Amino acid sequence: MKASLKSYFIYNESSILISYDNPIDSELVYTISNYKINIEKHIKGCIIEIVQSINSLLIIFNKDKVSSNELISELKKIENKESNYLKSNKIWQIPVCYDTKYAVDLESLANDKQLSPSEIIDAHKSKIYDVLSLGFLPGFMYLGFTHEHLYCERKQTPSLDIKKGSIGIALNQTCIYPQDSPGGWHIIGISPIDFFDLGSKTPCFAKPGDKIEFIEISSKEFQKMKKEKSLKPISK
Amino acid sequence: MIKVIQPGLFTTIQDGGRHGYRNIGIPSSGFMDQESAWAANKIVNNDREESLIEITLKGPTLLFNNNCTISITGGDFNPLINGLPIKMYESINVKLGDTLKINNSKNGARCYLAISGGIDVKSIFGSKSFLSNITESYYLRKGDEIKIYDNSNNKILKKNKLKFKLNRSMDVFKGPEFDLLSIKFKNILFESEFTIRSNSRMAYNLDEKAQIGIKSIISSPVMPGSVQLTPSGKIIILHRDCQTIGGYPRILQLDTNSLNNLSQLKSNDKIKFSLITQ
Repeated sequence: MKASLKSYFIYNESSILISYDNPIDSELVYTISNYKINIEKHIKGCIIEIVQSINSLLIIFNKDKVSSNELISELKKIENKESNYLKSNKIWQIPVCYDTKYAVDLESLANDKQLSPSEIIDAHKSKIYDVLSLGFLPGFMYLGFTHEHLYCERKQTPSLDIKKGSIGIALNQTCIYPQDSPGGWHIIGISPIDFFDLGSKTPCFAKPGDKIEFIEISSKEFQKMKKEKSLKPISK
Repeated sequence: MIKVIQPGLFTTIQDGGRHGYRNIGIPSSGFMDQESAWAANKIVNNDREESLIEITLKGPTLLFNNNCTISITGGDFNPLINGLPIKMYESINVKLGDTLKINNSKNGARCYLAISGGIDVKSIFGSKSFLSNITESYYLRKGDEIKIYDNSNNKILKKNKLKFKLNRSMDVFKGPEFDLLSIKFKNILFESEFTIRSNSRMAYNLDEKAQIGIKSIISSPVMPGSVQLTPSGKIIILHRDCQTIGGYPRILQLDTNSLNNLSQLKSNDKIKFSLITQ
């Protein structure tokens, strides 16, 4: 495992933010996942929850049990420890319909990028993505990293009515909206899958470090799959 | 059972919050003003995190179909039982058939109605707190029936010495992106008053804008109390139902007491930031 450059920041009375300066890539997802597992394994009794994001970890703790400075020194003791965390080799195959009926920003984005819509679609499905982080909305997935041709800023004015299952792109990432929501990513497709299952103990099937592959489906297939209840993705 | 005759502006069930699920994007929720909610629960001998009713700005009218013991704390909403004023911050015995009317707020933005024994509503991901897309209801509606536990044996007649007080000074930590601010804007932050514009359980927006915003950051964790500065210069203070991850720079972070105090302020109220020296 490569050495990591991180800093510890007292976020409030009961949380510490660990930020990484490393390049943002798959290796960093692994490094952060590894540290998170070690924290869960070795620091007992005072941690309420840990939020894993693209280049940081937020540790929320019970301030009646430990002080920020005590916790930071405990964390530093295990910061470079190897864990039994295995690089996930799980690839979730996600069906996506790129029909402009649902891909509401595909044409405008293609115009901006001086590409054809099909070049955007091909570039989007050509890669296998790392799940970088879950958050923002319940089950919202941040996935990296898109083909360099697809790099774009978030939309200037967020859309107010993005549909459940919509696939967005912004910066060098792609994402999945698990529910109807406002949002600032360019929408280039839609998936019929349920990405958040309220009734399950593990409401999200994927976790950071897993991989996602997009499989193109037609509008007809989308309609058909949409009718099947609680459709799950296939993992390979 | 308690029947909702009039729901008020935005009346919800809240408890200590939903903990352990921010990692999959589920907000913490829970009491906006924890201090007041804890006091309400304590008066009726509940665990301090027990579920209760949170009332915002304009109170509900509720019909009790059980005998029970209640307490009301937080902002002053001039509560009446069968038309007669009742005291806040002490336990009140309510009888079957009584009507509790909670008026508009005279002071503060939120009050808390605790019922001895708590509220019998389904817990989802370890919490009864109402949240859009997670719980069945997001707020109480006319005609709703709120089930409560039979707690008639719980003998309590307690007063709480706590006094409700508004506090407009917000104690803050530096946020992770604080150092991206210009010296000039840092001075403005701590020397000016800011005005609350729209506000909800998700966030409080401030009227005053920064002349220069800062560029978005890589999507990173945020918490209730995180103060964000948008690229267009808007200042947003996140609250209990806020998202778990955000892309706006986090310039300040309110401490727990200040977050409670903010919950009692409303549109047009002024606040001031004061840096916590460590």
